[in-house]
Amino acid sequence: MGLTPDMQAALGRLTLRNPIMVAAGTFGYGVEYRDLVDLSELGAVVTRSLTLTPRMGNPPPRVAETPAGMLNAIGLQNDGVDAFIIETLPRLREAGATVIASVAGETLEEYVQVAAKLSRAEGVAALELNLSCPNQARGGMEFGVQPELTAQVVAAVRQATDLPLIAKLSPNGGEIAPAAQAAVAAGAEAICLINTLLGVAVDAHRRQFRLASKVGGLSGPAVKPIAQYHLWRVRQSLPDTPLIGVGGVSSAEDAIEFILLGAHAVQIGTANYVQPTIALEIVQGLRDYLTTHGFPSVDAIRGLVQ
Amino acid sequence: MTLPVAAQVHFVPMTRYELPAVVVEHRQRATNQYELILHAPPIAARAAPGQFVMLRPMRTHAPLWRRPYSILRANPDKGVFSVFYSVQSAFTELLALKPIGSTVQTLGPLGSYFVPVRTARRHILVAGGVGAPPLYFFASRLMPTLQAGEQILILAGARRRDLLVGLDEFRALGAEVRIATDDGSHGYKGYVTDLLQHVLETDPTDAAVYACGPNRMLQVVAHICLERGAPCQVSLDAPMPCGMGVCLGCAVKVATPDGGVWYKRACVEGPVFRAEELVWD
Ligand SMILES: Cc1cc2nc3c(=O)[nH]c(=O)nc-3n(C[C@H](O)[C@H](O)[C@H](O)COP(=O)(O)OP(=O)(O)OC[C@H]3O[C@@H](n4cnc5c(N)ncnc54)[C@H](O)[C@@H]3O)c2cc1C
Ligand SMILES: Cc1cc2nc3c(=O)[nH]c(=O)nc-3n(C[C@H](O)[C@H](O)[C@H](O)COP(=O)(O)O)c2cc1C
Ligand code: FES
Repeated sequence: MGLTPDMQAALGRLTLRNPIMVAAGTFGYGVEYRDLVDLSELGAVVTRSLTLTPRMGNPPPRVAETPAGMLNAIGLQNDGVDAFIIETLPRLREAGATVIASVAGETLEEYVQVAAKLSRAEGVAALELNLSCPNQARGGMEFGVQPELTAQVVAAVRQATDLPLIAKLSPNGGEIAPAAQAAVAAGAEAICLINTLLGVAVDAHRRQFRLASKVGGLSGPAVKPIAQYHLWRVRQSLPDTPLIGVGGVSSAEDAIEFILLGAHAVQIGTANYVQPTIALEIVQGLRDYLTTHGFPSVDAIRGLVQ
Repeated sequence: MTLPVAAQVHFVPMTRYELPAVVVEHRQRATNQYELILHAPPIAARAAPGQFVMLRPMRTHAPLWRRPYSILRANPDKGVFSVFYSVQSAFTELLALKPIGSTVQTLGPLGSYFVPVRTARRHILVAGGVGAPPLYFFASRLMPTLQAGEQILILAGARRRDLLVGLDEFRALGAEVRIATDDGSHGYKGYVTDLLQHVLETDPTDAAVYACGPNRMLQVVAHICLERGAPCQVSLDAPMPCGMGVCLGCAVKVATPDGGVWYKRACVEGPVFRAEELVWD
């Protein structure tokens, strides 16, 4: 067999030890997994989305299992960016994690303030703007599906931070490419796609919605073909922009498919719940695949499926 | 600066294990009910009554989630523990297929546990249907520690006689068992909470209540106990995508010390909560 393959992933100014990350909101703040997963072996840990002040989140039930997937309407429950910086960030650093902080807001100013606080903190490698959370009545989604709003937020946050900036976009507005182009033009260095898809689920026995907030975001294996479609489309319109694929990845093969379609990196979401050690298994599976097929690096397979 | 309640409890302190547990026995206990005995020494050694495991019998996309199961008994010497389940739908149908010698991917032990109230003389365990297993585990660990004059009373309820779980076990422990069924097919005709009401009528001051069952039953149990001033711990049911504190899908509304409300996680701060902490909607 040849040499061990080069697993590094370069996303503009952000270089990761490998292209496998865990997705926002699906890995807690990251530290909760410390006893099960060596965080320093992951490409990066994306935190749950952080807001300026603590958010209580939506009333339960907040989750429902669906065929090969799940709906969630957590409502961005988090302790706020200050608590994250004081309590959690030091522990993530201690665990050797590469930390990407997910930034959420209900207003443009909130995004800017959260981003500014995080860029002053020590140990944040990049910011991911959650422009796409479909659970928020006022925040997230509107920003991500309208190219003009996307551009405004990205440009404003760009002014407030020197950190590498990733724009995470929603599939709920139809084609993602226009918002992706707007984000890049406004200063985003990478695009992450997709966030969850809007959906509802009904309990036939109780004759009511299964989520208290009725509408939730769909994730899990069921969304993989949609995520791959969007990745492939955005790859065509932005051939040189680093793309992070997310949606339904639950095996090394799934992750490889995204890379073949042009992803520089891949995030694992819902699968973390089902198999807490899955992200590291996927890192190993990707390494084995490259070795077995004689590819020298992850870069060597990226975009092979056009 | 004061952090919200949740901030102080993120850092899951307990020891838990993720491992393929070997099926050493799989006993049918009633028409649709099974006891699954798993070999997993570290889990068996640390399991406390009220705690649960997340099981994944097969690598399927549907059903997608693991499911939580309360620990029924644990034998640290033999390195085994068991869970008791009733076949309801796709997941439990798959679980029932697991043969001896196969493995079930298991995460545990997880969550909070029942804490004996040492000032009580009557320990009243209220079991609704499939809520019996953690209470049986609790009773079996509590029984040998009882002082003279202390006793365990089991109040078991279900819709019908055939949905009552674990009566023989409870009796074998030497505990007194009283039964209620909605349709009167066994014991008192009515709700198990009626039995509780009756038992606490005489003297609530020497009683402590521990309950597991449908949330609607638990709400009534909590209400009765708060009214009578009996300390009460309830084990809640909640959908649990991860069981390990990361998804926040299992939110339970609690009162905070400063008079507000916040959500705690049924899988980490729960499933066993002190009744006075909970805010029922
Ligand atoms: C902390 C905790 C501990 C638990 N411990 C145990 C345990 O020890 N033993 C145990 O058996 N379970 C336990 N459960 C429940 C368990 O996790 C599963 O939810 C249960 O086994 C059902 O699994 P299933 O996949 O077969 O059913 P699912 O696919 O989840 O079935 C769907 C659910 O819908 C309901 N449903 C299905 N058909 C109908 C209908 N016609 N009318 C109304 N409702 C319907 C069923 O009640 C069922 O729960 C526990 C849950 C929690 C949160
Ligand atoms: C319970 C849950 C919470 C989530 N929270 C966030 C979040 O806070 N911010 C965010 O950008 N995405 C969030 N997501 C979306 C995921 O990061 C991911 O984009 C999506 O789930 C698709 O990937 P998957 O199919 O691998 O889960 C959440 C997803 C789930 C299931
Ligand atoms: S089940 Fe995921 S946090 Fe409790």
